[in-house]
Amino acid sequence: MASRNSTISVKVVAAESLYKRDVFRQPDPFAVITVDGSQTKTTKTAKKTLNPYWNESFSFQALEDSILVIQVFDQKKFKKKDQGFLGVVNVRIGDVIDLSLNNSEETITRDLKKSNENLAVTGKIIVVISHNKSGTSNNVSNGTTSTSSRLPSSSTTNNHSNGSGSASTASNAVPSVANNSSAAATTATTAAAAASHRQYSSFEDQFGRLPPGWERRTDNFGRTYYVDHNSRTTTWQRPTLDQSETERGQQRQDTTEAERRQHRGRTLPGEGPTSPSPQQQNSITSGNVTVNATGGNSPVSPGAAVSMAASGATTSGLGELPSGWEQRFTNEGRPYFVDHNTRTTTWVDPRRQQYIRTYGQNTTIQQQPVSQLGPLPSGWEMRLTNTARVYFVDHNTKTTTWDDPRLPSSLDQNVPQYKRDFRRKVIYFRSQPALRILPGQCHIKVRRDHIFEDSYQEIMRQTPEDLKKRLMIKFDGEEGLDYGGVSREFFFLLSHDMFNPFYCLFEYSSHDNYTLQINPNSGINPEHLNYFKFIGRVVGLGVFHRRFLDAFFVGALYKMMLHKKVVLQDMEGVDAEFYRSLKWILDNDITGILDLTFSAEEESFGEIVEIDLKPGGKDIEVTEENKHEYVELITEWRISKRVEEQFKAFIDGFNELIPQELVNVFDERELELLIGGLAEIDTSDWKKHTDYRGYQENDQVIQWFWKCVNEWDSEQKARLLQFTTGTSRIPVNGFKDLQGSDGPRRFTIEKAGESNQLPKSHTCFNRVDLPPYTDYDSLKQKLTLAVEETVGFGQE
Amino acid sequence: MSLKRINKELSDLGRDPPSSCSAGPVGDDLYHWQASIMGPPDSPYAGGVFFLSIHFPTDYPFKPPKIAFTTKIYHPNINSNGNICLDILKDQWSPALTISKVLLSICSLLTDANPDDPLVPEIAHIYKQDRKKYEATAKEWTKKYAV
Repeated sequence: MASRNSTISVKVVAAESLYKRDVFRQPDPFAVITVDGSQTKTTKTAKKTLNPYWNESFSFQALEDSILVIQVFDQKKFKKKDQGFLGVVNVRIGDVIDLSLNNSEETITRDLKKSNENLAVTGKIIVVISHNKSGTSNNVSNGTTSTSSRLPSSSTTNNHSNGSGSASTASNAVPSVANNSSAAATTATTAAAAASHRQYSSFEDQFGRLPPGWERRTDNFGRTYYVDHNSRTTTWQRPTLDQSETERGQQRQDTTEAERRQHRGRTLPGEGPTSPSPQQQNSITSGNVTVNATGGNSPVSPGAAVSMAASGATTSGLGELPSGWEQRFTNEGRPYFVDHNTRTTTWVDPRRQQYIRTYGQNTTIQQQPVSQLGPLPSGWEMRLTNTARVYFVDHNTKTTTWDDPRLPSSLDQNVPQYKRDFRRKVIYFRSQPALRILPGQCHIKVRRDHIFEDSYQEIMRQTPEDLKKRLMIKFDGEEGLDYGGVSREFFFLLSHDMFNPFYCLFEYSSHDNYTLQINPNSGINPEHLNYFKFIGRVVGLGVFHRRFLDAFFVGALYKMMLHKKVVLQDMEGVDAEFYRSLKWILDNDITGILDLTFSAEEESFGEIVEIDLKPGGKDIEVTEENKHEYVELITEWRISKRVEEQFKAFIDGFNELIPQELVNVFDERELELLIGGLAEIDTSDWKKHTDYRGYQENDQVIQWFWKCVNEWDSEQKARLLQFTTGTSRIPVNGFKDLQGSDGPRRFTIEKAGESNQLPKSHTCFNRVDLPPYTDYDSLKQKLTLAVEETVGFGQE
Repeated sequence: MSLKRINKELSDLGRDPPSSCSAGPVGDDLYHWQASIMGPPDSPYAGGVFFLSIHFPTDYPFKPPKIAFTTKIYHPNINSNGNICLDILKDQWSPALTISKVLLSICSLLTDANPDDPLVPEIAHIYKQDRKKYEATAKEWTKKYAV
């Protein structure tokens, strides 16, 4: 039809993610537009950017079969051999617009391709192609920019040599489109006006354009996220235009504030405030002091059924010391007691009868003198507050606790094993000489808005020994001595910044959108290994100084930190799709179906590299016989081997503060709690955002379920979350934002299994299979057992 | 793993091409294919030829290929970006599936839409309420964009 020449307008809007050929500098890209090899136009040169924005229009004479070629070059290298080639696209005009119509306009986004030279090329180019026979009606849909698009461009010759372009002076390391934010907005409007386009530029989507300075991107799992170049942050939530930048800032602050509150509320069992606060609970009853062993320092909700009390009863008229005991005085005149029977010393007068009172199952009270427990661990001391309440000083770590270190958290046999274990482990861990705070102070001064860079400088310039001294954090320009609050804030802010996927060191796993894993492509930053070492140090520093990070890793990473072998189960939390396929391989006969060899392919910046999973793997077929080995090897490669370098740097940094053999006392779930702390979990919010399958909310079993959860303490709730969702993290805005591997997934209880079985979990879908138990006690017992006894994240 | 498998699928397609569809690489890049599907005769898409783009992930066949219509089509499970809502392209993917099998599934989706799991609720609504109107629009679009 359209055999006559038509005038078309080609607007070269922008290119993004161009290939970075030089480590230290960014190219000055310009585009050369050719139609049918005879008409040539050139854009201006954008300066120092991988995301050039030109937004220039040119007119050409074209037929339906005309070929439009757009090539991108680096102006700085244009005179060199390869001309600084950055990519090319070829488009047949008739494939994009229909010249037989009176007017049409299409926005296309194309991947840049290599030339014959075969140099690596990445990125996309965005072009608007339009034509208008009637000539005048176009302005309506096209807005103001169409005026410029109709003018034959003045920049038709090589004006890329006079590059004094002032618009884009990429000033920082961040790939920056923000510089062009206002201009970007204009493009977006134009593009949005183009009806029926199906390729959106990164500044818009089907809901219209994004606010200025915002960009839409897709991560390597195909999930869309939004980059705010104004604040250098990323979010999963689409920003809307009807919000002003101030409102968005406010919203961001609100979220941070909520996260901060959640972060501050985190604790660990066996640890708490740095000094006992005697006014908190003084329950003196006629000379008999009753101490709630769990009071004061652990985040136990009152409902938690911990019914143990240690009583330090003092008898008046002390009388003689027991045989074999002697009282002595220190140089300062403080009395202490020598037990020659056991050749030990203690501050505690053996005549002061201390009883441990245990409320057994039938509320019978068993008493035993504390002295039967044997001496305190080395470096520990027992003291009394001025209200005669017993507390314990750990001189190793210069900390105090209400808990007697010789006792499990409770002597009540109803208290589950795991709890006594974790508390004990924490106490043991803290009492180790390697975790002692060294004399002196470790000063770290950072600017709040440059916390990543400043912390990097400050923490890397000090020796690990320096970092073990009492931490004194100071925010530049802010008053305030660090008695805990400042360093809590420091770890909170720093963990937000250093794990920000923006820096390409960590990325969110495909399991949900908040657990973190090492980004295999972190090498884009040539310094990445130093950064991983730094991050390892920070994680160690937090554990050492009892500060929590507001960050949660995939389960596999905690396992790697414990030098445990990763297995197929761990893949579920890393990449659920991949996990399902590997599971399929194990469950089905693969003969003749899959053409696999013992190798893996890895895409790295557009290049595909083949890696042997074992020597000569490329040539070894995967068969029904050896498929188990294959699954094992590919799992290992996928999770740990391909980030081996990064992980090694990370764990080296961590081990400088926390020796490997000490952290090994924990399992991977406990390590998550040790690093991130235990959050107070709002059960009513949890319950409110729960779905049921096969059950109704008011079914008896469901009521029992929530009754049981309500009775649990924070740690046990956190463990239930780990069991069912794979992480103890709660979305900051509550359970309504819980994510599964396929998007938002509310917590779900499904009716499944027999009443003699344990509940099962599907962490991919945040789901627990709860059999229809016939009474409360068996539900509680089964659920407790399932939560306690299953170690490891993937439960499917 | 992926390249070998993709090559095998390509040669299988050449040896035993499925009826009413075709597929093959766009250029030298074996990870990027184009496919075409003939509108099934017993559907409002009859007479149309629909083009699709196929992108293989590096993890193929452990992960499903990304397939989208490049020809506009009026269908409750296909949106204006050409994205297809089909379980085997998402959580029901299995490494035993091939491009040929997937294209056949898409063909049958054209004959039997699934309005209960729609990608475009408006079209699904019309499909359920006023089947004639849906068929007329689908035919019109086919004529306009796919013939």
